Amino acid sequence: MNAIIETILSAAFVAAVIRTTTPVLFASLGGLLSDLVGSLNVALEGMMLIGALTSVIVSAYAPWYVGVLAGIAVGGMLGALMALFHLRFKADVILVGFAVNIVAAGGTVTVLNYATGGDKGTSINLPSKAIPALDLSFLNAIPGIGPVLTQMFSGHSYLTWLAAFLVFAIWYFLYRTPEGLRFRAVGEYPAAAEAAGISPNRLRTYGLIASGALAGLGGAQLAMFNFVGFTRDMTAGRGFIALGAVLLGRRHPVGTAIAAVLFGAFEALSIALPGILPQVPGEVIHSIPFVVTVLALMLSSRRRIAA
Amino acid sequence: MTPFLEAIGIDKTYPGGVHANKSVDLTVSHSEVHAIVGENGAGKSTLMKILFGVEQPNAGEIRLDGTPIHLPSPRAAIAAGIGMVFQHFSLVPSFTVAENVVLGVEPRSGLRLDRKRAAETVQALADRFRLPVDVEAPVERLPVGQQQRVEILKALYRDAKLLILDEPTAVLAPQEVVELFAAIRSLTEQGRTILFIAHKLPEVIEISDTISVMRAGHMVGRVPKAEATEAGLARMMVGRDVALKVTRAKPGERKHLCRISGLTIKNDRGLDAISGMDIVLRAGEIVGIAAVEGNGQSELFDAIGGLRPVETGSVELGGIDITAVPVDQRRDAGMAHIPEDRIATGSAGGATVAENFVATELEDERFVRHGLLDLGAIRAHAVELIDHFSVRVNGPDAAIGTLSGGNMQKVVVARELSSNPKLLLVSHPTRGVDLGATEFIWQRLAVARDAGSAILLTSADLSELLSLSDRMIVLYRGRIVAAFADTTELTPETLGSYMLGFAEQPENERRAALS
Repeated sequence: MNAIIETILSAAFVAAVIRTTTPVLFASLGGLLSDLVGSLNVALEGMMLIGALTSVIVSAYAPWYVGVLAGIAVGGMLGALMALFHLRFKADVILVGFAVNIVAAGGTVTVLNYATGGDKGTSINLPSKAIPALDLSFLNAIPGIGPVLTQMFSGHSYLTWLAAFLVFAIWYFLYRTPEGLRFRAVGEYPAAAEAAGISPNRLRTYGLIASGALAGLGGAQLAMFNFVGFTRDMTAGRGFIALGAVLLGRRHPVGTAIAAVLFGAFEALSIALPGILPQVPGEVIHSIPFVVTVLALMLSSRRRIAA
Repeated sequence: MTPFLEAIGIDKTYPGGVHANKSVDLTVSHSEVHAIVGENGAGKSTLMKILFGVEQPNAGEIRLDGTPIHLPSPRAAIAAGIGMVFQHFSLVPSFTVAENVVLGVEPRSGLRLDRKRAAETVQALADRFRLPVDVEAPVERLPVGQQQRVEILKALYRDAKLLILDEPTAVLAPQEVVELFAAIRSLTEQGRTILFIAHKLPEVIEISDTISVMRAGHMVGRVPKAEATEAGLARMMVGRDVALKVTRAKPGERKHLCRISGLTIKNDRGLDAISGMDIVLRAGEIVGIAAVEGNGQSELFDAIGGLRPVETGSVELGGIDITAVPVDQRRDAGMAHIPEDRIATGSAGGATVAENFVATELEDERFVRHGLLDLGAIRAHAVELIDHFSVRVNGPDAAIGTLSGGNMQKVVVARELSSNPKLLLVSHPTRGVDLGATEFIWQRLAVARDAGSAILLTSADLSELLSLSDRMIVLYRGRIVAAFADTTELTPETLGSYMLGFAEQPENERRAALS
């Protein structure tokens, strides 16, 4: 037990949490935007997966940032596609979302097969690039806590810092700008927005595109930093965990970010634990983030009913 | 002087073939309150929707200040200075009053929403037009009357010169009506014009300068206030004399039928909607419950009807405890329920009229034998009830969703009364139902009462409660604050002060009227 606590309290663990949180945080913020505007995006998982593969393949032939942009673009396009089917053709948004997830699961393997010339498991023989890390080792100069700070915060992906900034930016957008007010109005009571001359479907389209782009960004971070290269089904439920984070975070950007960090922490723990507790099967430990998601959602909805 | 608004020869046929407006003329003068009255289906709403750009007329012209205008959308109407407050408010519940008012036309400073300026502008409007409201309060915490003010402020913020109010008093308590009328007068004093759609005639006569009457798509009359009488207007609306009068229950000893004791019910948010209610209902009487919407009456009816669990306390009907039994067993015990929402709870929209009639009778040997529906018997039953309740419908096989509000309600009332219930729960029986059907439904309820049913009635329409009830109780925040064993002397004002929580009857007086 002591070993576990020691691990959790270490600076290295904090660094690991930041790392595991980043992709989930992007997807969570995306989920938040589409959920707040009234179209629950259950396709985050598939969008992340497709974003991950796209950025890996593109980065094999272009600079890393082009790969990241490609991930964003493909996510955004998937969001637009969902909007088309959901808002124009009036298909149920949940069903459209699951369709995207199913296409992503099969489609990525097929495309991977073509892109790698026959490998259906990983992109190991593609020379894909990684997102550079931001070196903050100058923090070492701070007396006392400098080395610890460096260990925690240096060496993370550029995108990690972007994610942290986006939490603030999205909060500002939603709660301080007129457009954010309209966004929330559409999500909460579309008839009121419509009566005020706002087109709910247009804002929902924006919401789905933004959520796809953010999920794609999460996928890029996953396949170009957390892991370098694509593996089939590598998102492993992170898109669904992101949805959980949105609900657990009470559909607020800061709450969502905190929930994403919580899930990131349990993921980091599930990576660290097998070394400490070799007697527990790895499968059990790897199921921790999912079990935590279910428990957290149960507790939070129960509290809401009681409140 | 040119009239402010003129509609000339407005004609509208809906794609379904309904001819809602037949060459309608309407003339509204500057700064007047102009009421439009008529039965449901008379075409008032259609005319208003045309004036607000929601619907397009097939023929006719609209002139504003003498200039012909074209209103392809509500946006165009707003731009022309026409605002409309619908019966169903379109407000975002969690937003503040100021946020709701400015939504869509927000004041900005740079990227930001300028909250301070929004609040100040809205506050200034509220002061100027005597529409007092807390501009920083979330709309969901405001009573209905104030939410309505927010809707009016929304229109004024967009600089509406002509304000269309669609049945604005339907949801208000008497005192709130007084405040609304004060605001309306202040609006007309400041040069705004009000088009007021209503069907409660005493109010219409009180507030309006001119009254236009519609019937079956035609404009049948234009009466200045001085010449308007209730009976005269009602005759113009319905086309015959209307007697909205119900005989009271005959006095005499009546046996206790239903005993509600210590009843506590929670609302959807887990708070007490009804706390510790005791009341006894007797055979052959109508007990009316007066309360402003949201004071526990809906939860009370749902709970007795079996649609919501009871927290503590008991409900006993004819010696059987029905506190926690399923709906079918309650019905077996003699309960029937005319719910407040005839569309969502009272009927199955896609099913036929005949199917809706037997939906509560599927245990009955007459209609179901060996687990199979007896379609012949079901049809015959429907034909009989349609005839008996004069439901206007093409036949028993029409989907109930295609019926007008009044006829749909008649189907629900017919079904519930056909089981000769001991206890009948009735919520808002004539909400959105026209005068002719109202008269009919009232009489049917009185007949059921005289046949020995105990009827528990609630309605947002106080005149309905006062006309029908033999005893009355007032609910405020889930508690009985007043009870009256005799309703003949009661006035809406007396009830109103209890409904708004300004007064509470002494305990002993209340007790006496509850047993």
